[in-house]
Parts: sequence; C-alpha cells; structure tokens
Amino acid sequence: MTAALAIARREFAAYFRTPLGWVVIALYLALSGVVFALAVLAPAAPASMRPFFGLSGWVLLFVAPAVSMRLISDEIRSGTIEPLMTAPVSDWAVMAGKLAAALAFLVALLAPTGVYVAVLERVSDPDLGPVLAGYLGLALAGALYLSVGAFFSTLTGSQTLAYLGALFTLLLVRLATGEGVAGRAPDAVADALYAVSLDRRLGAFAAGVVDTADASFFVVASAWLYVLSVIALQSRRWR
Amino acid sequence: MHSTADIPAPDAIAADGLHKRFGAVRAVRGVSLTVARGEIVGLLGPNGAGKSTTMRMLAGFLPPDEGRVRIGGFDTLSDSIEARRRIGYLPESTPLYPEMTVAGLLEFRARLAGVPRRRRADAIGRAIERCWLGEVARRRVGTLSKGYRQRVGLAAAILHDPPALLLDEPTNGLDPAQISAMRGLMRDLAADRALVVSSHILAEVEKTCGRVVVIAGGRVRADGPIGALARAGEAACLIEVRIGPGDADDLTRALASLAGVSRAAPVGLEANGSPWRRWRLEGGPDARGLAERAGALLASRGVPLRELRPEEPTLERAFLDLIGRPEDKDDPA
Repeated sequence: MTAALAIARREFAAYFRTPLGWVVIALYLALSGVVFALAVLAPAAPASMRPFFGLSGWVLLFVAPAVSMRLISDEIRSGTIEPLMTAPVSDWAVMAGKLAAALAFLVALLAPTGVYVAVLERVSDPDLGPVLAGYLGLALAGALYLSVGAFFSTLTGSQTLAYLGALFTLLLVRLATGEGVAGRAPDAVADALYAVSLDRRLGAFAAGVVDTADASFFVVASAWLYVLSVIALQSRRWR
Repeated sequence: MHSTADIPAPDAIAADGLHKRFGAVRAVRGVSLTVARGEIVGLLGPNGAGKSTTMRMLAGFLPPDEGRVRIGGFDTLSDSIEARRRIGYLPESTPLYPEMTVAGLLEFRARLAGVPRRRRADAIGRAIERCWLGEVARRRVGTLSKGYRQRVGLAAAILHDPPALLLDEPTNGLDPAQISAMRGLMRDLAADRALVVSSHILAEVEKTCGRVVVIAGGRVRADGPIGALARAGEAACLIEVRIGPGDADDLTRALASLAGVSRAAPVGLEANGSPWRRWRLEGGPDARGLAERAGALLASRGVPLRELRPEEPTLERAFLDLIGRPEDKDDPA
C-alpha cells in the first residue's frame, strides 16, 4: 500500500514536472472553453452543459491515451523499470499506483471546468443533477480510456506506439459501436454492438441519466484492462 | 559447541545452472555462483560475455530459462518478493528519474523498498552520507554529472540495508578519483554483505575483489581468489646467453624440447654486433621450475648465461587466456 501510494505520488508529480501535464491541461481547457463559450453560452441555448459533455467525451478519447501512454513505456525506455521491478513490490501495486496517478491527473484536468458551471449558474438556472451526472460519465469514460492507454504502455518502450495503439483501439470501438455503424448492422450484430456502445452510455450520462448498468460497464471494463496490464507487466518476467 | 540454533545461514547469493537465451542468441549457458556475506566477487568478462544478463537474473529482473537463483535462501521466482527485499541492485547505466531531486528520489526508493516510516529519514541520511551526496541532495537528478548519478544509484540500492548487493559496472564513466572513492565505498559496504560487481576492466576487479569469476561466451571460465587465478596463467621465463654463430637453431630446438615448455623463441635483434642473444620460454599453466630446468640445460651445455628471469604469471595474461579459449564444440544446442 505504501509502495502503491509512493508510485502514485511520484507519477502524479511527474506530470507537473514535465511539460506534458501542463500542455495537456492548457489545450483541453482552451478547446472546451471555446465550446462552452460558443455552444453552452449561446443566446437562446438551453441552460445545460450537454454540448460541453458531448465534446469532452470525444476530446478525452484523444487526451487520455496521451496521459497514460508514458506510465510503463517511459520506465521501459529509460531503464527505470529495472529498479522498479526488482523492488519488493507486487506488479498489482505497481499498476494500481500508476493508474491512480493517471486518474488523479484526469480529475485535475476536469476540475478547472467547474468554472464553466459557475458561470452558467450566474447567467441562467441550470439543473445541477445532469451536470453532476455528466461529470460522472466523463470520469468513468476517462478511466476506461486511461486504462486502454496504460495497457498499451506495458507492451512497448515507445510512447508514440502506445498512444497510437490505444487511440486506434478506442476510435475503432467507439465508431463501430456508434449509431453510424451499429445502426446499419443486422439486428443481432447491432444488439451486440449497442451493448458495448460508448456513445450510448456517455449520452445517457450527459442527459442526466445515471444508470448503474452504464456505470458498472465502465468500471468493469477498466478493471479488466487493469488485470490485462498487470498480466502484460508480469509477462516481462517470463520472457 | 553446535546447537540447533547454529544451522548455517543460507548463502546470501546462490545461483545454480543459469541459462538464458534471447531468440537464437544464447547469452548465458550454465552459470553457477555462490557468494557469502563479507565477500566481494568480481564478475569479469569482455563486453557481450553475458555479465549483465547474469546480473539481471541474480536481481530477479529476468527469469532464467533454466536454473534458479536464491537470495538469502529465497527463490527469485517462487519467493520473489522476499528475495527482492534482500537485494540491492544498481543496473548498468544507472537508470533514475531525471525530474526528481536526489532527496526526493531516495525518499521514493525507500518507500518502494519497504523501509518503515520511522526508519526512513535515518536510512536516507545514512545513504546520503555514505555516498557523499550531501551537497547535491536538493539538486535534480537530471542535472547531475555521471559520477554523482552513479552514487545516487548506489545510495538508492543500499537504502533498505540489503544483505546482497549487485552492482553492474558501477565505475563505468567515472574519473580516476571517483573510481578510487567508489572502490573504498564498495569495500566498506562488503564488510557485512555479499557483493557482486561486474566489470570488463581487469584492473578494477583486481583492486577491489577478493574473488573473481571470469565469464566469457555465457559460461564461467574461472572462479577463485585473484592470486589463484593469476597462478593459473602461463608461466614464462626469459634467458640471455652468449652463443657462437650458427648455434641459435640448435639451442632453440634444445630449449623447446625441455619438459613443460610449450614454446621457445629468440627475441630481439640478431645482428646488432653483440654475441648476447635472448630467448623467451613459455610454459603451460603447470610449468613450475621452468627457469631451473632452463638453467640446468644451459649449464650442461656450457653456454655462458647473463640473465635468467622467470616471469610472474599476471592476472592479465590469465584473463586473456581464459576469455580467448575457443568455445566447446560438443555442447548440446
């Protein structure tokens, strides 16, 4: 536990000691700020954060793998994986610490957007329920995206490869299970695709509907990726 | 004297029949090694001999294809965490997190190594003092010179006071003063620890290690005290005698036929106007008494002798001889 916490703290601090963390936060806030100003604060628009959540659901798909691509890849490339994996710490604790740091960074990334909610609160009267639900959806989907990036990062010492692997996997899943593809597929296939549809579940959260099935989908999928990552990390000991 | 409490403690490091291959390359082929506390063992071999692969297997970073490693009696695979608690490992090229400060990095590594909270500050302070890091404790690791980084790596490896220390090329890239300081530190650390130091530099090992294990081609070529290894080298002797014209070939033949001589050859220039000529005799590893036999031969032939000098076998020659030995042809793939 001490070790996992130590890893999480080191990793989280590393985001802010290297330009990566600041750049990611700045770019995300700039982009989401534009959407907030143009779509949410638009004249006659409903007092709702939905456009912001819709955009963020997509932006996180690109941003989260960039946050987690370095988790293991960087250790492999720099060789620090040697002291890390010869320390008396289980691979479960190593991966848990790494993911916890990435999740904490995700929270740090989303936290400043609370300002948007405060602004919207000043100019109109939004319903806070759907706002909280939307944030919950973003955090859950973000966790899944991070886990995909973390998994790919255990496979290679190249952060670029880890990022691309995660991004293309996420794009494929999101597009294949979205309305565009699943909607045209035969019924049996469509049902299966809808069952793992990220769009549908994220849309429900953004609309203010918190369904335990949707929430557990993201949690369980992230947990599975955590297990896969640990196995991939352990497999370095068999090779 | 012996009670049941006197069961001998297991060897700090015990490796048995280690094999490792990477694709078609058989990096390590049957390395066995035991190291007790208080011993400094030099793992010596040319580049690519399998030193780092062996070190990684000892540290539990790489699993051996065959064989096993036990640290303080704990298997690095089946009892991995317990074994890792007892290892301090400085990997080759000293990988560290460049964005951390020295103190921050040591704090992190102490937590990772499971040093209890109340002993942490103490352990870090001691490591900083031992490795002379006091003046750079607040600096970022990435801004340090190679010598300092090496010392940070070493400090991080000894934080949890491990009984087994594995240092992979610890003096690589250090200047002579730093190498000398590192040597003193290693001797100091080995007082109550088992220490394995790898190097491809002979002089390095000769000065620090009581025992040398020579590795080449993934195999152990020699394992023993420095002195014994040196004695295993070829003996040789140099003679300088006065001979008449035309006697040279005859004398060469006579010297070459002496017992224990593997090669006899004249050395130096022939036509320098001086009647004194030198020969060099080389014997195999067991050529004791080479100089005496050569002296007796010359005396019996009445050849005037001006110099008879046995050459001490050196570690360097023993080393070159060991690593130059052709690989066994008949080993199974």
